[in-house]
Amino acid sequence: MLIAKKKALSTLSLLLLPFTLLLAQQDTDFMRSMGKMYVVVAVILAIFIGIIIYLIRLDRKLTKLEDQIKNHE
Amino acid sequence: MKNYWWKFLGVLLLIYTFVFGLLTPLKTGITAASPYSLQAGQTQVVTVQGYNSFFTKEKEKLRAWLKTGSEFALAASQIEAVDDRTVKLTFHVPAHLPTDSKVKDFTLLIDSPADGASILPGGLSIKQDSVNEAAGKALWTASPISQLHEKEAITFPFRNILGETIRNTYYHVPMWMAMFIILIGAVVFSIKYLINPDADYDRKAMALTNVGLLLGILGLITGAIWAKNTWGKYWSWDVKQNMTAIALLIYSAYFVLRASFEDPEKKARISAVFNIFAFASIVPLIYIIPKLTDSLHPGAGGNIAFGSQDLDNTMRMIFYPAIIGWALLGLWIGEVILRTARIRERILDA
Repeated sequence: MLIAKKKALSTLSLLLLPFTLLLAQQDTDFMRSMGKMYVVVAVILAIFIGIIIYLIRLDRKLTKLEDQIKNHE
Repeated sequence: MKNYWWKFLGVLLLIYTFVFGLLTPLKTGITAASPYSLQAGQTQVVTVQGYNSFFTKEKEKLRAWLKTGSEFALAASQIEAVDDRTVKLTFHVPAHLPTDSKVKDFTLLIDSPADGASILPGGLSIKQDSVNEAAGKALWTASPISQLHEKEAITFPFRNILGETIRNTYYHVPMWMAMFIILIGAVVFSIKYLINPDADYDRKAMALTNVGLLLGILGLITGAIWAKNTWGKYWSWDVKQNMTAIALLIYSAYFVLRASFEDPEKKARISAVFNIFAFASIVPLIYIIPKLTDSLHPGAGGNIAFGSQDLDNTMRMIFYPAIIGWALLGLWIGEVILRTARIRERILDA
């Protein structure tokens, strides 16, 4: 249980890492070029990544339930 | 199939939002004018940078003014379109300004049949050595602004500082709207549970609150990214940002609370009561307190709402479907959470 949680957390942070690095190190000149279009790109990317992380969590929950059903049989 | 229609509708609305929200061009705008400072009584050339502009198209029909208020304006005496994005304006600035101060900011206005009218608010400042308001007023009404053009295309408004990020209206703002719709649903189920303690009402409230929190967190993150490139910092300790963070923390406490009860009935009852309190606190935290104080965020105190000035009819055609689309996607995710919770209940009972 604890190991699964730790695993989930590390996956989360691993997934988030490149994204946060990308945003943090992106110099503002790039983000503000092309009329700040890349800000819109970053916002849509953030929503997409958020939903994917949520989906991974849900997937793990369902896997756990499937395991429980298997153990019952 | 009959029960899935709303999921299809949600996805269709989101596809529509992405396609038209990203492909519709912005109106022509002015991004910069140099030099910034002019001297009264001299003839000076100002180089202006346009955005989405086509200055060389019908360039003999280009017109430009420096204006202040709605009455006073000075037309450019000579206009030279260098290329589509650059234009050089020559102004014979009169010796007196229509003001009683030594320095005054003026708005630059360029009008063309191809691009319509575009402005750079407070784009230029003019200094004068001697103040003569009456003479200034007479001089600055000699060349009034007349018959401005309107760009004939489907476009979004151009706002300085915002630029293309005005499109975030369809991705950041609907997060909060969808969150609100979904949290209202959660509160309805919490109240229903308190009236009639059916475990499924509690599960529905839990599933909706879960999605509501997801949308809230996404709203906060997207807001921070937008803020970084318009306000200057990811987190400005602005009232709106602080209060929403507190509201989301209150909602996270809902799940901490649920995890700390063993008895399912006790858990359901107490979390239903907590949910009602959480909702009662999120309304003043997000929508009332920021309106009472100064905030950088539009729609809060000292800052006009997007709706009144910046949200034009073209944007509404995408903004409202976007809210419904994101809310339906949230409901879909919530439904999957609910079904997962139901299966878990079954397994635990067996």
